[in-house]
Order: sequence, then C-alpha cells, then structure tokens
Amino acid sequence: MGKEDVSAKKRRKINTSTTSETSKQVPVDVYKRVVEFEESEAQLRPAEKDAAFFKKICQDIRLLFAEIAELKAKDTEEAREKLNAKRIEASLNLVALKKLNRLEKVRTRAGRDALHKEKQRVDSTHLLLQNLLYEADHLNKEVTKCLQFKSKDEEIELVPLEDFYKDAPAEISRPELTKNDEHQLQLARLEWELRQRRELSSACNELVSSKERVAAAIAAARSRLDALVPHLRDVLKSTKPLQECLALRLDDKRDEAKAASLLPSPLFLLFANASAYSDALGAKTITVGISGDEDEARRLEQLNNVDSDLVASNDSDSDQENNDDDQREKKKRHHRNAKISKEEKAEAKKKEVLKKHPLSVQVSVKVQDGTALNLIFSYLLHLKIIVVKFTVSLPKPITGVSAADVLNGHCILNELYPGDTGSDSPHPATSYLLNAAGITEDFQHFISELGKPYIWAQRMCGLDFMATITEDQKFNKNIHLCPSLSVSTVENFILTLKKRLKSRVELMKELQDLESGKILPVKGDSPCPVRLSGSLTQWQSVGWPEYSQSPSTAFLISEGLVNPNDMLYRAIITRQSAKLVALVALRSDYPKKAPMFSLTLHWNGTHHAGINNDIRDIERVINTDWGSEDNKQYTLSIQIMKLLTCLDILLETSGSSEFPPDKVMFCPVRGRNRVKPYKFLKQGTGVFVQY
Amino acid sequence: MLDKILYNTVLSQTLSPCGKYLIAGNIYSQIAVFDLDRVLNPVVELLTTDYNKPKYTHTLESGRQVCSLASTEKFLIAGTVNEIFGWDWKNVVSSKLSKPSWAIRVPSQSSSLEQTDVNSLWLSENETKLYAGCGDNNVYVFNLEDGSLVSTLKGHKDFIHAVHGHNQQLVTASEDGFVMLWDARTGKSHNKVQPHANSKVARPDVGKWVGSAAIGDDWIVCGGGPRLALWHLRFLDAVTVFDLPDHGIHVSFFHDDCVFAAGAAKHLYQLNYSGEIKVELPVSATTVYSAVLKTTPNKILAIAGSSPEIDLCTTFNYRDQVLHFR
Repeated sequence: MGKEDVSAKKRRKINTSTTSETSKQVPVDVYKRVVEFEESEAQLRPAEKDAAFFKKICQDIRLLFAEIAELKAKDTEEAREKLNAKRIEASLNLVALKKLNRLEKVRTRAGRDALHKEKQRVDSTHLLLQNLLYEADHLNKEVTKCLQFKSKDEEIELVPLEDFYKDAPAEISRPELTKNDEHQLQLARLEWELRQRRELSSACNELVSSKERVAAAIAAARSRLDALVPHLRDVLKSTKPLQECLALRLDDKRDEAKAASLLPSPLFLLFANASAYSDALGAKTITVGISGDEDEARRLEQLNNVDSDLVASNDSDSDQENNDDDQREKKKRHHRNAKISKEEKAEAKKKEVLKKHPLSVQVSVKVQDGTALNLIFSYLLHLKIIVVKFTVSLPKPITGVSAADVLNGHCILNELYPGDTGSDSPHPATSYLLNAAGITEDFQHFISELGKPYIWAQRMCGLDFMATITEDQKFNKNIHLCPSLSVSTVENFILTLKKRLKSRVELMKELQDLESGKILPVKGDSPCPVRLSGSLTQWQSVGWPEYSQSPSTAFLISEGLVNPNDMLYRAIITRQSAKLVALVALRSDYPKKAPMFSLTLHWNGTHHAGINNDIRDIERVINTDWGSEDNKQYTLSIQIMKLLTCLDILLETSGSSEFPPDKVMFCPVRGRNRVKPYKFLKQGTGVFVQY
Repeated sequence: MLDKILYNTVLSQTLSPCGKYLIAGNIYSQIAVFDLDRVLNPVVELLTTDYNKPKYTHTLESGRQVCSLASTEKFLIAGTVNEIFGWDWKNVVSSKLSKPSWAIRVPSQSSSLEQTDVNSLWLSENETKLYAGCGDNNVYVFNLEDGSLVSTLKGHKDFIHAVHGHNQQLVTASEDGFVMLWDARTGKSHNKVQPHANSKVARPDVGKWVGSAAIGDDWIVCGGGPRLALWHLRFLDAVTVFDLPDHGIHVSFFHDDCVFAAGAAKHLYQLNYSGEIKVELPVSATTVYSAVLKTTPNKILAIAGSSPEIDLCTTFNYRDQVLHFR
C-alpha cells in the first residue's frame, strides 16, 4: 500500500505538473472535475461488481507474487525477464486496486452523507410531532377545565319548574323558547329569581323602616309613662294617710307581692298556697309573710341568670381547689399560716354549700287562745331542700318547766306525720352534694344550725323526693315542682298543725297543773267520784338515758313502743310511806295515742311490772283499759286519776294497817291471779270490782 | 293506747290427750291452740315466722276470763266464770270454735253482780267426775256423764285456788289460808292444814293464802303466801320447808319423785323431797299460774303465767322454745 500511496502522490504531482500551465486560474476546477467524475463514476458503477473485481485483482496479485517468488528462486535469466513482465503486471493490478479503493471511499462518503441527511430530516419531523402532541394535550386540559367550570347560578336556589311556569310572566318564561333549550330555561329562571328577590328586598326595607317608626313611637310612649311615675308616686304618697285612716293593707300587700316574685320557686308555691289559705281562713288562724334581704335576692336572681349551673361549676372548682390545696400543703413549711387559710376556705365552702336563699317565708298558725307557732321556711340553694325553724309565741308565760318544753322543745313538730322526724335530709342527693363539696359531716350535723328538713315541709313546697328515688338516681337532676302536691299538703298541714298545736296547748295546761301537783278535774262525770288518798308530788321531764335505765321501762322499749323522740316524764305519787314512780312516755301525736306509763312502787321493797304482778295489773289498767271513754281531751289527767285510784286500791287491799280500806269492793282479791278490784262500777255509791 | 295482749296473762293450760296440742286460756277469754308438732318438729321448708304463735285463737262470747282448763279423752273442759264448757276435741282444733258440746252452770248465788270463777278443775282418775274449785268458796263435784251435780264440798271461807286428788283423797287450797283434805267418797272434810299458822312456813308480808296444793301417796305439797312446804299426810306437819326466793307460789305438783313449783319468781323449781333444788328453769312470766306436764307420747312441760309468752320444755331441764300467745 505504501507503494500505492507513493504512486498516487506521484500521480497527483504529475497531475499538478501537467495541469499547472493549462489551468493556472482554474486548478481547483480540474481537481473538482476529477472528483466530480470519480463521484459520478462511483455512482454509476455498481458496488457489487467492483467488490468482485477487487477480489479478482487481489487474487491476481497474489498469483503474480507467488510466480515472482518462484522466479526469484530460479534466478535465471529467463526468469529475470519474466520477472520484469510480472512486476509490471503486478504494478498495473495495484493501480487498478487503488482506483477501486478510491471509488469505494467516494461511495462510502456519499452513503454517509445521504444517511446523515436522512437522519436530520427524521429528527426535525420528530420534533414537530412532539410539539403537536404537547399542544394537543394542553388543549385537552383546557377543554376539561372548561367542562368543570361551576357557574354561580348553580348555587342559587330557584323556584321549582312548575311554579316558575305558573307564576312567571310570559315575557320572562318564554315557554316557546325555553321548553326546548335548557340554557335558555336556566337564564329565564335566573331572571325570574332576580326580579323576585329585588321585590322582596324592597319589601324588607319597607318593613324595617316601618318597624323603626313603631319603635320610635314606643320609645316616645315609654318616656311619657316614665314621666308619669313620679306623679303616681306622689299620688300613692298622698293616699297613705287615707289608707292608715281606713286600715287598709294595700301597700303591704304590694310589697309582699314584689318580694314573692323574688322567692325561689318552691317557696313561692308555699307562699302562694299559704296566703290563699290565709285569705280563706282569715288572718286569725294563719298569717303568711316574707322576710329577708330583698336586694340580696335580687342580686342572686341576676347571678343565677348568668350561670345557672352553679353546682357543676362548683365541682370543677373543688377539683381545682384540691390541687391548690396540695400545692399549698407543699408550701406549708414556708407559710405557717397556710393551714389556717385552708381551714377558712373549707369553712367558706361549707357556708356556700349550706347557703340559704336570702328570702324566707314565715307562716304563723294561731289557735284560739292566742298561742301561735311561727314557722320559718328557708330554701337551701345548693342542697335544694326546704328547712324549717320555728318559734312559739304565747299569750302568757308558762310556769312549769316540763310544760314549757311541750311547746318550746324540739318535739312540737316531731312526727307530725308518722315517721317524719326531720332528722335527715329527705333529698337522696344531699350526701353526695356534701361530699362533693368536701364536707365530711353528715347533714344531721347542720340541722341545729339550719333548721329541720321535714318531709311535710318539702311537700308543702311541692318538692316530692319520693318520686325521684323511684326513678333512676341521677344526681343534680332538677326536681320538678308539683303544685297540686303543695296545694293538698298545705291544707292538710295547716289542719294537722292546728290540731297538734291545740292539743299541745291543752297538754301544756295539763302539764302545768300536774307540775303544781293539781290534777285537772275532769268535766262532766268523773270516772271515780271517791276520795283519793294519794297525791301527785312531783312531775318533771326526764331524759332518755334515765328513762331507758329504769327496769320498769325495759318491756316497753323492747317492744319498740317508746323511742327517744317521745316526751318523757316522771311522776311521783306518794301516800304515806308508799311512793309510786311513774315514768310516762307521751307520743308526739298525743292525744291521738295515749301516754304510756311504766310504774315502780317503792313500798316494802321495790316493785315493777317485771317482778310484781300487781304493778303489771295496774299498768294494764292504765295503759290498755281505755274503755268507751271518748273524752280524749284530758287523757293524761284521766290516766293519772286512774293511777291514783289503782294505787289506793292496791295499798288498801294489801292488808297493811297503814292503809285502812275505805272503798267499797266486793272482794279484795279474786281469782287464781289474786287480782285487785281496779274497775269502778257506778252502782249505788260506786263499787270496785275486778272485771 | 297499747294493745291489751301485751299485758296478756295466761291463767290455765292443758295438753290434748294425743299430746299434739297445747291449749291455753287467758284473762281476755281467749283460748289459744298451739300445734306442738309444728313447734317441736318443724319442717324447715314450711317454717313461717308465726310458727310459735297460736294455730287458732278462739274468743269466748261471754268475755269472761278462762280460769281453768282440763282435758279428757273426748272433751276439752274450760272453767270460766259461772260456767263450765265442754268442747269436742275435733271442734277445738278447727279454725272456728262452734258452740260447746255441753255446758254446766255453777249453782251460784242469785245476785247478778257476784260472779263465781271456776278457779280449778280436777278430773277423777277414771274421768267420770269433775271437781271444780270455785270462787264461791265451794268445790262442786259434777258427773261427767250427764253434767249433774253430785255433791258440794263446803268448808272454806274464801275462794278456792286449787283442787287436787289422789287415791280417793282430795286436797284443796284456798285464799283463806287453809289446805283441806277431803274424802272423795263421802264428800266430807276430815282434816286441814294451816300453813300460815306454822312459824317455819308463814310469810305474813306475802299473805296467808295458799295458791297451790297437790297430794301424793304420803305427802302433800302446798304453798302460796306461806313458803312451799312438804307436809306429811298423816302427821300433817311441815317436814320439808323449801327455801325459794319467791313472792308467792301458784303452781306445785309431784312428778317422778320431784316437786315442781312455780309462782311469783324468776324460775320454775324442781326439788327433791329433802329440799334441794335440782333444776332451775328460767321462765318468761312475771308470775307463773300454770304449768302442765305430760310424758306420753312426748315429754313436754309448758309454763305460762302473766306474760304473752309460754315457755316450752321437752327435757324439763332447760327452756327449749318460747311460744307467743299474742
């Protein structure tokens, strides 16, 4: 090949040298023509033929070289000649080979150029395609955006289609157009909506302005009325002397009504019903009033309007407070007075829970002789119960100690209704509320300070806790007032209380007499018109411990007939050396239930019903032989008379010379039980028999 | 006013011949029938709270106290006031007591005010004669066949507390302080004892009355205001004086070489003849007026008195059950 290159250069040099003079100004053109010629030649000649030609020449050269090598080996003359010929032939072949090679080169370049051109075209086409695709995509997006567009009109609530056609005028509805075109229909409906709204808006404006006009008129009227108030006040003031002159209570009533409106609803019910009764029965029997701080009540009412759920907020308060307390506990070392303030806080808390409504209702019930019982009903705001305190006012002072107790002591309201001692809260939620407020004591602890929560008091105020007990036990539940309950209870209560008060006054008189040693002479025919030798020397009240310790009362107590709530007395009856101690238990509802006597006789030893049959017999006579006597008024006196009689009989039948018999009796003892004749028969001058 | 039944006093008791029923009579003219089977052999499943209460309580129309009770094979005999009634047992243990099968009127005084209690009833061993110790100081002997009065034993100056007999001999205890011995055949009194005149026995502070007397083969036991004492039948002398802390004896009888005695005391005493206390049975009643004892078919002792409670013993040694007559 080196040879070939050299030869090609030689030829080019030759070419240049040969064409240097002919084409001085167009040497390039010659070269160009050669090139163009070769290029066209290369295109014209088929490549495959050239390839086969090339292979044949290569074969020829190989053969020549082999012959040359053979000839060289011979190294003869002849051979040398042949060698030269061969050499020329080989060189010619090489020239042809060179030509072929150049042609091939040209062809390759032409192919490459064509490929390149093609490639460029494909690229640009592809780019164009990409652009088009992108554009299509964008347009698609735009289309979906348009499709998804929500018009404002869709949110407007339109009148239904039928109404629209019915109501709208034809120029808006244009049925011929809208029936077919949905869009036109929508437009028409919107237009109709707009028109209607405009009309309504104008109507509204008109109304507002008329309202303003009316308000202005009202304000004017009010200011005129306000201006009237001082005048009215003046008028009222000027009527006062007249009222006083005519003894009218108009002002008081008005004040009361004002105060009543501030009462908590249970007390209001009570007040309303009780004052109705007072009106019906007259002020002589029952009077009703309101006492307390009205301003405070007014403030409380306003406060209540703000936060109605006091208790709930209280709860959270207490939690917080506990935490505070804990923290404070930690700080205690630093602050010595922290504990004191904590106690104070607890005290304040207690006060808050047990807070009464500032207003209370006073009901005073009077009986004929002027004795009156003043009941003060208060409402515990948080515990939601009614408590009652009371005082008794007497027309004249009571002389006896035990007699005074009957009216002044705790017992006058005790068991006004069976089982109602007022010793614990009837509201089931009370203990919970106390606990929630961090108060450890029971409600009983506060009764002396607050007053007693009798069940009748709750019922008078229309509070019925029994109903809530039977329902599910929801604390903090509002208890509904029951007005009808209040009505019926108030009536019942006033009658019961009057009866109780009356009987108590009578009992008081009886006791007063007994205490001074007098036994009230029973009106009408006495059950025992004989001389009684014993006398009542002492009558005084005793406490439960003393009562229960006496062996004579063990029987009554074990039978559950006496309890510490009863009024207990000790009577001592003496006759010469005999002394009879009678422990008397009066039930709260005396005289409905007769007093119960337990006797102990001190004479020749101590005798009581547990060991002595005679005493037991007397107790039987006193406590059970009620007989047909319906004079219940002086039960106690009658019983004491009987007791005196029985004691006389017992002593006189004992055969002792100290007690000579002076009563007429058939036989002093009778039967295997040797019973004495305690029963009086009105036959002749009167005679005592056993049965 | 208290219920009068709280002050109930049981004056008399008797046991039915079958031993199944205890009959008790009180001062409110009520006769209570207790079913002892139910009390002593309770069926737990059928036990109700009122098992110790009367099965039936009959109230007599007369309203008089039931002073004494006795029972024969056929009849329950009740001595009230002025009258003695007999009921068929079938009738007694039914829920409603009908009219008595028979009634005997005590031949008493004309005055309507004076009333004769039949304080004590005693039946002769062959159950043909009924001895009634009455409030008019006499003991009447009735023939149970026809209810006729056989004889009248007169001699006491006050009402009779108790009548008891043994081997054709009768003993009566009276409020007048005498214990009289009678011949049952002739109806004549042949001897009497005067306990209150005996300084060993007398207790003037309690009284001279004799509340109870019983006769045995050789002995009489009696007591009341005077102390309980064992008197020899022939010598009529107080051989043993029982020292009991009582305020009057109302019940005394012999049983099984023992003396049973009760009254105004806290216990019922069982004593041997030499005066030792063998058993002290606490009683509910303030004063015991009646104690009845039966050994067949079951051992049973019922003690009653001035209390609504009746004590029941099956062993005679301790109180098993308390019945409530209320």
